[in-house]
Amino acid sequence: MEVTLGQGVALAIMAVICGIDFWLEGLYIFRPIIVATITGIILGDLVTGLVCGGVTELAFAGLTPAGGTQPPNPVLAGVMSVVIAHTTGTEAAGAMALALPFSFLMQYIILFCYSAFSVFMGKADEAARNANPNGVVRINLVCTGIVALLYGVVVFLCAFVAQDAMKSLVEAMPNWLSNGFTVAGGILPAVGFAMLLNVMFKKDYLPFLLIGFVMASFLGFSNLLPEAIIGVALALLIYTIDDARDKEIKKAIAEAKAGGWGDEEDGI
Amino acid sequence: MESSDSVYGSGEVRADKVLTNSDITKLGYRTVLLQAGFNYERMQASGWLQTQLPCLEKIYKDDREGLSAAMTDNLEFINTSPHIVGFLNGLLIAMEEAHEDRSAIKGIKVALFPPIAGVGDAIFWFTLLPILAGICSSMAIEGNPVGPLLFFAVYLGLFLIRPLWARLGYNLGTKAVEMLRETSGRISKAATVLGCTVIGGLIASYVSISLVVDIPVSDTASVNLQADFLDKVFPNILSFGYVFLMYWLLKKKQVNPVVLILVTFGLAILCSFFGIL
Repeated sequence: MEVTLGQGVALAIMAVICGIDFWLEGLYIFRPIIVATITGIILGDLVTGLVCGGVTELAFAGLTPAGGTQPPNPVLAGVMSVVIAHTTGTEAAGAMALALPFSFLMQYIILFCYSAFSVFMGKADEAARNANPNGVVRINLVCTGIVALLYGVVVFLCAFVAQDAMKSLVEAMPNWLSNGFTVAGGILPAVGFAMLLNVMFKKDYLPFLLIGFVMASFLGFSNLLPEAIIGVALALLIYTIDDARDKEIKKAIAEAKAGGWGDEEDGI
Repeated sequence: MESSDSVYGSGEVRADKVLTNSDITKLGYRTVLLQAGFNYERMQASGWLQTQLPCLEKIYKDDREGLSAAMTDNLEFINTSPHIVGFLNGLLIAMEEAHEDRSAIKGIKVALFPPIAGVGDAIFWFTLLPILAGICSSMAIEGNPVGPLLFFAVYLGLFLIRPLWARLGYNLGTKAVEMLRETSGRISKAATVLGCTVIGGLIASYVSISLVVDIPVSDTASVNLQADFLDKVFPNILSFGYVFLMYWLLKKKQVNPVVLILVTFGLAILCSFFGIL
Protein backbone atom coordinates (compact mmCIF):
# COMPACT_ATOMS: atom_id res chain seq x y z
CA MET A 1 0.00 0.00 0.00
CA GLU A 2 1.18 3.47 -0.80
CA VAL A 3 0.77 6.88 0.78
CA THR A 4 -0.64 9.19 -1.91
CA LEU A 5 0.29 12.85 -2.25
CA GLY A 6 -3.14 13.85 -0.93
CA GLN A 7 -2.73 11.59 2.09
CA GLY A 8 0.77 12.98 2.65
CA VAL A 9 -0.62 16.52 2.74
CA ALA A 10 -3.47 15.46 5.03
CA LEU A 11 -0.95 13.85 7.40
CA ALA A 12 1.12 17.04 7.37
CA ILE A 13 -1.95 19.13 8.28
CA MET A 14 -2.79 16.73 11.09
CA ALA A 15 0.84 16.96 12.27
CA VAL A 16 0.60 20.76 12.40
CA ILE A 17 -2.50 20.58 14.61
CA CYS A 18 -1.18 17.77 16.84
CA GLY A 19 2.23 19.46 16.92
CA ILE A 20 0.72 22.65 18.33
CA ASP A 21 -1.08 20.54 20.90
CA PHE A 22 2.21 18.81 21.77
CA TRP A 23 3.80 22.21 22.26
CA LEU A 24 1.00 23.47 24.52
CA GLU A 25 0.03 20.15 26.18
CA GLY A 26 -3.58 21.23 25.76
CA LEU A 27 -5.85 18.41 24.66
CA TYR A 28 -3.36 15.52 24.49
CA ILE A 29 -4.23 14.82 20.87
CA PHE A 30 -0.45 14.57 20.40
CA ARG A 31 -0.38 11.18 22.14
CA PRO A 32 0.29 8.15 19.89
CA ILE A 33 -3.11 6.59 20.54
CA ILE A 34 -4.87 9.63 19.02
CA VAL A 35 -2.30 10.46 16.30
CA ALA A 36 -2.14 6.85 15.10
CA THR A 37 -5.92 6.52 14.98
CA ILE A 38 -6.28 9.69 12.88
CA THR A 39 -3.40 8.52 10.66
CA GLY A 40 -5.25 5.24 10.19
CA ILE A 41 -8.40 7.12 9.17
CA ILE A 42 -6.43 9.26 6.68
CA LEU A 43 -4.79 6.17 5.15
CA GLY A 44 -8.16 4.38 4.99
CA ASP A 45 -6.97 1.71 7.41
CA LEU A 46 -8.59 2.41 10.77
CA VAL A 47 -7.82 -0.96 12.33
CA THR A 48 -4.09 -0.67 11.65
CA GLY A 49 -4.23 2.82 13.15
CA LEU A 50 -5.96 1.58 16.28
CA VAL A 51 -3.62 -1.38 16.81
CA CYS A 52 -0.44 0.63 16.18
CA GLY A 53 -1.82 3.43 18.36
CA GLY A 54 -2.44 1.06 21.25
CA VAL A 55 0.97 -0.60 21.00
CA THR A 56 2.83 2.71 20.62
CA GLU A 57 0.89 4.45 23.40
CA LEU A 58 1.87 1.70 25.84
CA ALA A 59 5.53 1.96 24.89
CA PHE A 60 5.33 5.72 25.35
CA ALA A 61 3.26 5.72 28.56
CA GLY A 62 6.44 6.00 30.59
CA LEU A 63 8.31 8.27 28.21
CA THR A 64 7.17 11.55 29.72
CA PRO A 65 8.78 14.98 29.88
CA ALA A 66 8.26 15.04 33.66
CA GLY A 67 11.55 15.09 35.47
CA GLY A 68 13.26 17.18 32.86
CA THR A 69 14.24 14.81 30.04
CA GLN A 70 12.56 15.30 26.69
CA PRO A 71 11.39 11.83 25.56
CA PRO A 72 11.31 10.49 21.98
CA ASN A 73 8.59 12.33 20.12
CA PRO A 74 5.09 10.80 20.47
CA VAL A 75 3.60 12.46 17.35
CA LEU A 76 6.19 11.04 14.94
CA ALA A 77 6.01 7.64 16.66
CA GLY A 78 2.23 7.60 16.17
CA VAL A 79 2.28 8.69 12.51
CA MET A 80 5.23 6.59 11.37
CA SER A 81 4.25 3.33 13.09
CA VAL A 82 0.97 3.38 11.13
CA VAL A 83 2.64 4.52 7.89
CA ILE A 84 5.23 1.72 8.18
CA ALA A 85 2.64 -0.93 9.05
CA HIS A 86 0.42 0.28 6.20
CA THR A 87 3.09 0.53 3.48
CA THR A 88 5.20 -2.52 4.36
CA GLY A 89 2.78 -4.86 6.10
CA THR A 90 4.99 -5.07 9.19
CA GLU A 91 3.07 -6.00 12.34
CA ALA A 92 2.37 -3.33 14.97
CA ALA A 93 5.19 -3.98 17.49
CA GLY A 94 7.78 -4.15 14.72
CA ALA A 95 6.37 -1.06 13.00
CA MET A 96 6.53 0.85 16.27
CA ALA A 97 10.18 -0.13 16.69
CA LEU A 98 10.99 0.89 13.10
CA ALA A 99 9.27 4.25 13.70
CA LEU A 100 11.61 5.11 16.56
CA PRO A 101 14.39 6.73 14.47
CA PHE A 102 11.80 9.25 13.20
CA SER A 103 10.70 9.81 16.77
CA PHE A 104 14.29 10.54 17.82
CA LEU A 105 14.73 12.91 14.88
CA MET A 106 11.77 15.04 16.00
CA GLN A 107 12.91 14.86 19.62
CA TYR A 108 16.22 16.48 18.63
CA ILE A 109 14.45 19.12 16.54
CA ILE A 110 12.30 20.04 19.55
CA LEU A 111 15.36 20.15 21.82
CA PHE A 112 16.94 22.53 19.32
CA CYS A 113 13.84 24.75 19.46
CA TYR A 114 13.95 24.83 23.28
CA SER A 115 17.50 26.15 23.11
CA ALA A 116 17.01 28.44 20.12
CA PHE A 117 13.90 30.16 21.46
CA SER A 118 15.95 31.52 24.36
CA VAL A 119 17.08 34.30 22.00
CA PHE A 120 13.56 35.77 22.09
CA MET A 121 13.74 36.48 25.82
CA GLY A 122 15.66 39.71 25.27
CA LYS A 123 12.86 40.96 23.05
CA ALA A 124 10.31 39.89 25.66
CA ASP A 125 12.12 41.93 28.32
CA GLU A 126 12.04 44.91 26.01
CA ALA A 127 8.30 44.50 25.48
CA ALA A 128 7.81 44.37 29.25
CA ARG A 129 9.89 47.54 29.75
CA ASN A 130 7.75 49.36 27.20
CA ALA A 131 4.50 47.90 28.61
CA ASN A 132 3.80 46.48 25.16
CA PRO A 133 1.52 43.41 25.40
CA ASN A 134 1.57 42.78 21.64
CA GLY A 135 5.32 42.28 21.71
CA VAL A 136 4.92 39.31 24.07
CA VAL A 137 2.02 37.85 22.11
CA ARG A 138 4.07 38.07 18.92
CA ILE A 139 6.99 36.14 20.44
CA ASN A 140 4.69 33.33 21.57
CA LEU A 141 3.03 33.23 18.16
CA VAL A 142 6.38 33.01 16.37
CA CYS A 143 7.63 30.18 18.63
CA THR A 144 4.43 28.16 18.27
CA GLY A 145 4.31 28.86 14.53
CA ILE A 146 7.86 27.64 13.96
CA VAL A 147 7.14 24.42 15.84
CA ALA A 148 3.89 23.86 13.90
CA LEU A 149 5.65 24.37 10.58
CA LEU A 150 8.49 22.01 11.50
CA TYR A 151 5.97 19.30 12.38
CA GLY A 152 4.20 19.68 9.04
CA VAL A 153 7.40 19.56 6.99
CA VAL A 154 9.02 16.69 8.92
CA VAL A 155 5.91 14.50 8.81
CA PHE A 156 5.41 15.16 5.09
CA LEU A 157 9.03 14.23 4.33
CA CYS A 158 9.01 11.12 6.51
CA ALA A 159 5.58 9.77 5.54
CA PHE A 160 5.41 10.66 1.84
CA VAL A 161 8.88 11.29 0.43
CA ALA A 162 10.78 8.58 2.31
CA GLN A 163 8.27 5.76 1.89
CA ASP A 164 9.92 3.96 -1.04
CA ALA A 165 13.32 3.92 0.60
CA MET A 166 11.72 2.61 3.76
CA LYS A 167 9.84 -0.09 1.91
CA SER A 168 12.94 -1.46 0.21
CA LEU A 169 14.76 -1.36 3.54
CA VAL A 170 12.07 -3.38 5.29
CA GLU A 171 11.84 -5.86 2.40
CA ALA A 172 15.61 -6.35 2.44
CA MET A 173 15.59 -7.29 6.13
CA PRO A 174 16.21 -10.96 6.94
CA ASN A 175 13.66 -12.77 9.09
CA TRP A 176 15.70 -12.72 12.29
CA LEU A 177 16.13 -8.96 12.01
CA SER A 178 12.46 -8.16 11.55
CA ASN A 179 11.64 -10.59 14.37
CA GLY A 180 14.25 -8.77 16.44
CA PHE A 181 12.41 -5.49 15.87
CA THR A 182 9.13 -7.06 16.96
CA VAL A 183 10.79 -8.46 20.10
CA ALA A 184 12.32 -5.04 20.80
CA GLY A 185 8.86 -3.47 20.44
CA GLY A 186 7.58 -5.81 23.14
CA ILE A 187 10.40 -5.04 25.57
CA LEU A 188 10.51 -1.31 24.90
CA PRO A 189 7.78 -0.32 27.40
CA ALA A 190 10.25 -1.52 30.08
CA VAL A 191 12.50 1.48 29.37
CA GLY A 192 9.50 3.83 29.66
CA PHE A 193 8.33 2.36 32.95
CA ALA A 194 11.91 2.49 34.27
CA MET A 195 12.01 6.19 33.36
CA LEU A 196 8.77 6.77 35.26
CA LEU A 197 10.14 4.90 38.27
CA ASN A 198 13.33 6.94 38.02
CA VAL A 199 11.44 10.14 38.83
CA MET A 200 8.81 8.82 41.24
CA PHE A 201 10.08 5.66 42.91
CA LYS A 202 11.55 5.37 46.40
CA LYS A 203 12.06 2.27 48.54
CA ASP A 204 8.96 3.24 50.55
CA TYR A 205 6.82 2.65 47.47
CA LEU A 206 8.10 -0.89 46.77
CA PRO A 207 5.13 -2.58 48.52
CA PHE A 208 2.68 -0.85 46.18
CA LEU A 209 4.68 -1.71 43.07
CA LEU A 210 4.79 -5.36 44.19
CA ILE A 211 1.06 -5.45 44.95
CA GLY A 212 0.30 -4.09 41.49
CA PHE A 213 2.73 -6.43 39.76
CA VAL A 214 1.71 -9.61 41.54
CA MET A 215 -2.00 -8.92 41.12
CA ALA A 216 -1.69 -8.36 37.38
CA SER A 217 0.57 -11.40 37.01
CA PHE A 218 -1.66 -13.90 38.80
CA LEU A 219 -5.21 -12.59 38.47
CA GLY A 220 -6.09 -12.41 34.80
CA PHE A 221 -8.17 -9.29 34.32
CA SER A 222 -8.98 -7.95 30.90
CA ASN A 223 -8.04 -4.33 31.59
CA LEU A 224 -6.28 -2.30 34.25
CA LEU A 225 -9.33 -0.73 35.85
CA PRO A 226 -9.40 -3.06 38.89
CA GLU A 227 -5.70 -2.33 39.31
CA ALA A 228 -6.42 1.40 39.29
CA ILE A 229 -9.24 1.04 41.82
CA ILE A 230 -7.04 -0.91 44.22
CA GLY A 231 -4.42 1.80 43.71
CA VAL A 232 -6.98 4.46 44.64
CA ALA A 233 -7.91 2.48 47.76
CA LEU A 234 -4.26 2.27 48.82
CA ALA A 235 -3.73 5.97 48.07
CA LEU A 236 -6.74 6.94 50.21
CA LEU A 237 -5.48 4.74 53.01
CA ILE A 238 -2.04 6.38 52.96
CA TYR A 239 -3.56 9.86 52.74
CA THR A 240 -5.79 9.20 55.75
CA ILE A 241 -2.93 7.82 57.82
CA ASP A 242 -0.68 10.78 56.95
CA ASP A 243 -3.48 13.22 57.65
CA ALA A 244 -4.08 11.74 61.10
CA ARG A 245 -0.35 11.77 61.85
CA ASP A 246 0.05 15.41 60.77
CA LYS A 247 -2.85 16.39 63.02
CA GLU A 248 -1.25 14.56 65.96
CA ILE A 249 2.03 16.35 65.38
CA LYS A 250 0.30 19.71 65.15
CA LYS A 251 -1.57 19.06 68.35
CA ALA A 252 1.61 17.99 70.13
CA ILE A 253 3.42 21.12 68.93
CA ALA A 254 0.54 23.32 70.02
CA GLU A 255 0.50 21.71 73.45
CA ALA A 256 4.25 22.03 73.82
CA LYS A 257 4.05 25.69 72.84
CA ALA A 258 1.23 26.34 75.29
CA GLY A 259 3.28 24.62 77.97
CA GLY A 260 6.36 26.66 77.05
CA TRP A 261 4.51 29.96 77.29
CA GLY A 262 3.05 28.86 80.60
CA ASP A 263 6.54 28.39 81.99
CA GLU A 264 7.64 31.77 80.76
CA GLU A 265 4.66 33.43 82.39
CA ASP A 266 5.59 31.71 85.61
CA GLY A 267 9.09 33.05 85.24
CA ILE A 268 7.87 36.58 84.73
CA MET B 1 -3.49 53.38 42.99
CA GLU B 2 -6.78 53.67 44.85
CA SER B 3 -8.20 55.93 42.16
CA SER B 4 -9.32 52.99 40.05
CA ASP B 5 -12.61 52.40 41.83
CA SER B 6 -14.84 52.34 38.78
CA VAL B 7 -17.36 49.53 38.89
CA TYR B 8 -17.25 46.82 36.27
CA GLY B 9 -20.20 44.50 35.69
CA SER B 10 -22.99 44.21 38.20
CA GLY B 11 -23.06 42.98 41.75
CA GLU B 12 -19.50 43.98 42.56
CA VAL B 13 -18.91 44.46 46.24
CA ARG B 14 -15.34 45.64 46.56
CA ALA B 15 -14.52 48.96 44.95
CA ASP B 16 -11.09 47.79 43.83
CA LYS B 17 -12.55 44.82 41.94
CA VAL B 18 -12.19 45.34 38.22
CA LEU B 19 -12.33 41.72 37.06
CA THR B 20 -15.61 40.01 36.28
CA ASN B 21 -16.54 36.36 36.41
CA SER B 22 -16.06 36.06 32.69
CA ASP B 23 -12.55 37.51 32.97
CA ILE B 24 -11.62 34.67 35.30
CA THR B 25 -13.27 32.06 33.06
CA LYS B 26 -11.29 33.37 30.10
CA LEU B 27 -8.16 33.37 32.23
CA GLY B 28 -8.77 29.69 32.95
CA TYR B 29 -9.03 28.77 29.26
CA ARG B 30 -6.10 31.02 28.37
CA THR B 31 -3.81 28.94 30.60
CA VAL B 32 -3.53 26.63 27.58
CA LEU B 33 -0.97 29.14 26.25
CA LEU B 34 1.38 28.54 29.19
CA GLN B 35 4.01 26.78 27.06
CA ALA B 36 3.57 28.86 23.90
CA GLY B 37 7.04 30.37 24.14
CA PHE B 38 8.87 27.56 25.96
CA ASN B 39 12.66 27.76 26.03
CA TYR B 40 15.52 26.58 28.21
CA GLU B 41 16.39 30.03 29.52
CA ARG B 42 13.13 30.83 31.31
CA MET B 43 10.93 27.83 30.48
CA GLN B 44 7.27 28.92 30.46
CA ALA B 45 7.89 32.61 31.24
CA SER B 46 6.60 34.29 28.08
CA GLY B 47 3.59 31.98 27.84
CA TRP B 48 2.79 32.61 31.50
CA LEU B 49 2.92 36.35 30.93
CA GLN B 50 0.51 36.06 28.03
CA THR B 51 -1.99 34.11 30.14
CA GLN B 52 -1.97 36.89 32.74
CA LEU B 53 -1.75 39.85 30.35
CA PRO B 54 -5.40 40.67 29.53
CA CYS B 55 -6.26 40.77 33.24
CA LEU B 56 -3.15 42.83 34.01
CA GLU B 57 -4.09 45.30 31.27
CA LYS B 58 -7.55 45.64 32.75
CA ILE B 59 -6.18 46.11 36.26
CA TYR B 60 -3.53 48.68 35.31
CA LYS B 61 -5.46 50.43 32.52
CA ASP B 62 -3.59 53.71 31.91
CA ASP B 63 -0.89 53.10 34.49
CA ARG B 64 1.88 52.18 32.05
CA GLU B 65 4.56 52.07 34.71
CA GLY B 66 2.53 49.69 36.84
CA LEU B 67 1.84 47.47 33.83
CA SER B 68 5.50 47.48 32.86
CA ALA B 69 6.55 46.46 36.38
CA ALA B 70 3.96 43.68 36.47
CA MET B 71 5.01 42.43 33.04
CA THR B 72 8.67 42.38 34.03
CA ASP B 73 7.90 40.35 37.16
CA ASN B 74 5.77 37.92 35.21
CA LEU B 75 8.59 37.29 32.75
CA GLU B 76 10.74 35.59 35.34
CA PHE B 77 11.53 31.88 35.24
CA ILE B 78 8.56 29.61 35.82
CA ASN B 79 7.98 25.92 35.15
CA THR B 80 4.86 24.26 36.47
CA SER B 81 2.03 21.90 35.59
CA PRO B 82 -0.01 23.14 32.59
CA HIS B 83 -3.18 21.32 33.72
CA ILE B 84 -3.67 23.04 37.05
CA VAL B 85 -1.59 26.19 36.61
CA GLY B 86 -4.88 28.16 36.51
CA PHE B 87 -4.96 27.89 40.29
CA LEU B 88 -1.77 29.96 40.46
CA ASN B 89 -3.02 32.35 37.75
CA GLY B 90 -6.21 33.04 39.71
CA LEU B 91 -4.43 33.44 43.02
CA LEU B 92 -1.83 35.89 41.68
CA ILE B 93 -4.38 37.87 39.67
CA ALA B 94 -6.38 38.35 42.88
CA MET B 95 -3.23 39.75 44.48
CA GLU B 96 -2.55 42.00 41.47
CA GLU B 97 -6.12 43.25 41.57
CA ALA B 98 -5.78 44.10 45.25
CA HIS B 99 -2.53 45.93 44.40
CA GLU B 100 -0.53 43.91 46.87
CA ASP B 101 3.14 44.60 47.22
CA ARG B 102 5.08 43.55 44.07
CA SER B 103 7.67 41.56 46.01
CA ALA B 104 4.90 39.68 47.85
CA ILE B 105 3.31 38.68 44.52
CA LYS B 106 6.67 37.59 43.18
CA GLY B 107 7.48 35.67 46.35
CA ILE B 108 4.21 33.76 46.33
CA LYS B 109 4.68 32.86 42.68
CA VAL B 110 8.17 31.49 43.26
CA ALA B 111 7.02 29.67 46.39
CA LEU B 112 4.04 27.99 44.76
CA PHE B 113 4.97 26.99 41.24
CA PRO B 114 7.25 24.10 42.30
CA PRO B 115 4.71 22.34 44.57
CA ILE B 116 2.01 22.83 41.91
CA ALA B 117 4.37 21.26 39.38
CA GLY B 118 4.99 18.39 41.80
CA VAL B 119 1.30 17.70 42.38
CA GLY B 120 0.56 18.06 38.65
CA ASP B 121 3.32 15.68 37.57
CA ALA B 122 2.33 13.12 40.20
CA ILE B 123 -1.32 13.19 39.18
CA PHE B 124 -1.18 13.72 35.41
CA TRP B 125 2.06 12.14 34.16
CA PHE B 126 2.69 9.42 36.76
CA THR B 127 -0.86 8.37 37.49
CA LEU B 128 -3.53 9.41 35.02
CA LEU B 129 -1.56 8.86 31.80
CA PRO B 130 -0.33 5.33 32.63
CA ILE B 131 -3.82 4.29 33.79
CA LEU B 132 -5.57 5.76 30.76
CA ALA B 133 -2.90 4.49 28.37
CA GLY B 134 -3.26 1.00 29.85
CA ILE B 135 -7.05 0.91 29.65
CA CYS B 136 -7.49 2.67 26.29
CA SER B 137 -4.60 0.90 24.57
CA SER B 138 -5.89 -2.53 25.50
CA MET B 139 -9.15 -1.59 23.73
CA ALA B 140 -7.38 -0.07 20.72
CA ILE B 141 -5.17 -3.14 20.26
CA GLU B 142 -8.34 -5.21 19.87
CA GLY B 143 -9.41 -2.79 17.13
CA ASN B 144 -11.97 -1.06 19.34
CA PRO B 145 -12.30 2.68 18.53
CA VAL B 146 -13.72 3.35 22.00
CA GLY B 147 -10.10 3.30 23.23
CA PRO B 148 -8.94 6.56 21.60
CA LEU B 149 -12.39 8.14 22.05
CA LEU B 150 -12.36 7.53 25.79
CA PHE B 151 -8.78 8.84 25.97
CA PHE B 152 -9.80 12.02 24.16
CA ALA B 153 -12.94 12.47 26.26
CA VAL B 154 -10.95 12.41 29.52
CA TYR B 155 -8.46 15.04 28.36
CA LEU B 156 -11.21 17.17 26.85
CA GLY B 157 -12.91 17.08 30.25
CA LEU B 158 -9.68 18.16 31.94
CA PHE B 159 -9.42 21.05 29.50
CA LEU B 160 -13.01 22.16 30.10
CA ILE B 161 -12.54 22.35 33.88
CA ARG B 162 -9.53 24.66 33.59
CA PRO B 163 -11.62 27.74 34.57
CA LEU B 164 -12.51 25.98 37.83
CA TRP B 165 -8.86 26.00 38.90
CA ALA B 166 -8.56 29.70 38.06
CA ARG B 167 -11.73 30.49 40.01
CA LEU B 168 -10.58 28.43 42.98
CA GLY B 169 -7.26 30.27 43.11
CA TYR B 170 -8.92 33.65 42.61
CA ASN B 171 -11.50 33.10 45.35
CA LEU B 172 -9.10 31.64 47.88
CA GLY B 173 -6.52 34.36 47.29
CA THR B 174 -3.66 34.22 49.74
CA LYS B 175 -5.58 31.72 51.88
CA ALA B 176 -4.55 29.23 49.19
CA VAL B 177 -0.91 29.49 50.20
CA GLU B 178 -1.48 27.88 53.58
CA MET B 179 -3.78 25.24 52.10
CA LEU B 180 -1.32 24.25 49.40
CA ARG B 181 1.59 24.12 51.82
CA GLU B 182 -0.39 21.80 54.08
CA THR B 183 -1.73 19.37 51.52
CA SER B 184 0.58 19.32 48.48
CA GLY B 185 3.04 16.86 50.04
CA ARG B 186 0.30 14.45 51.07
CA ILE B 187 -1.50 14.64 47.71
CA SER B 188 1.73 13.99 45.80
CA LYS B 189 2.50 11.01 48.02
CA ALA B 190 -0.98 9.51 47.65
CA ALA B 191 -0.84 9.99 43.87
CA THR B 192 2.57 8.29 43.78
CA VAL B 193 1.16 5.31 45.70
CA LEU B 194 -1.58 5.00 43.09
CA GLY B 195 0.94 5.45 40.28
CA CYS B 196 3.28 2.76 41.63
CA THR B 197 0.45 0.26 42.01
CA VAL B 198 -0.64 0.85 38.42
CA ILE B 199 2.92 0.73 37.06
CA GLY B 200 3.39 -2.63 38.78
CA GLY B 201 0.36 -3.83 36.83
CA LEU B 202 1.56 -2.21 33.60
CA ILE B 203 4.91 -3.99 33.85
CA ALA B 204 3.15 -7.34 34.22
CA SER B 205 0.66 -6.65 31.44
CA TYR B 206 2.60 -4.81 28.76
CA VAL B 207 6.29 -5.64 28.90
CA SER B 208 6.56 -8.89 26.99
CA ILE B 209 9.73 -10.93 27.14
CA SER B 210 9.16 -14.51 26.13
CA LEU B 211 11.90 -17.14 25.77
CA VAL B 212 11.50 -19.47 22.81
CA VAL B 213 14.18 -21.91 23.96
CA ASP B 214 13.16 -25.60 24.04
CA ILE B 215 15.15 -28.05 26.12
CA PRO B 216 14.85 -31.64 24.85
CA VAL B 217 14.15 -34.10 27.65
CA SER B 218 13.78 -37.20 25.47
CA ASP B 219 13.74 -38.04 21.79
CA THR B 220 10.14 -36.92 21.36
CA ALA B 221 9.39 -34.50 24.21
CA SER B 222 10.93 -31.15 25.07
CA VAL B 223 10.37 -28.53 27.73
CA ASN B 224 9.68 -24.98 26.67
CA LEU B 225 11.62 -22.78 29.05
CA GLN B 226 8.96 -20.05 29.05
CA ALA B 227 5.64 -21.90 28.96
CA ASP B 228 6.62 -24.99 30.93
CA PHE B 229 8.97 -23.48 33.46
CA LEU B 230 9.01 -19.68 33.98
CA ASP B 231 5.26 -19.13 33.51
CA LYS B 232 4.54 -21.87 36.06
CA VAL B 233 6.98 -20.56 38.65
CA PHE B 234 6.55 -16.82 38.28
CA PRO B 235 5.06 -15.31 35.13
CA ASN B 236 6.48 -11.98 33.97
CA ILE B 237 9.52 -12.29 36.20
CA LEU B 238 11.79 -11.47 33.24
CA SER B 239 9.82 -8.29 32.54
CA PHE B 240 10.08 -7.21 36.16
CA GLY B 241 13.79 -7.95 36.21
CA TYR B 242 14.43 -6.05 33.00
CA VAL B 243 12.51 -2.96 34.19
CA PHE B 244 14.57 -2.91 37.37
CA LEU B 245 17.80 -3.38 35.45
CA MET B 246 16.85 -0.33 33.36
CA TYR B 247 15.84 1.57 36.50
CA TRP B 248 19.17 0.74 38.15
CA LEU B 249 21.10 1.91 35.10
CA LEU B 250 19.12 5.17 34.99
CA LYS B 251 19.32 5.88 38.71
CA LYS B 252 22.71 4.61 39.78
CA LYS B 253 24.72 4.81 36.56
CA GLN B 254 22.98 7.87 35.08
CA VAL B 255 22.80 6.16 31.69
CA ASN B 256 21.02 8.23 29.04
CA PRO B 257 17.54 6.83 28.20
CA VAL B 258 18.36 6.94 24.48
CA VAL B 259 21.31 4.62 25.13
CA LEU B 260 19.00 2.24 27.00
CA ILE B 261 16.55 2.18 24.09
CA LEU B 262 19.37 1.43 21.66
CA VAL B 263 20.84 -1.27 23.92
CA THR B 264 17.38 -2.85 24.21
CA PHE B 265 17.20 -2.95 20.41
CA GLY B 266 20.66 -4.45 20.10
CA LEU B 267 19.87 -7.13 22.70
CA ALA B 268 16.52 -7.97 21.11
CA ILE B 269 18.04 -8.38 17.65
CA LEU B 270 20.96 -10.40 19.01
CA CYS B 271 18.63 -12.72 20.94
CA SER B 272 16.42 -13.06 17.89
CA PHE B 273 19.45 -14.03 15.79
CA PHE B 274 20.46 -16.76 18.25
CA GLY B 275 16.88 -17.96 18.65
CA ILE B 276 16.53 -17.07 22.32
CA LEU B 277 13.66 -14.57 22.06
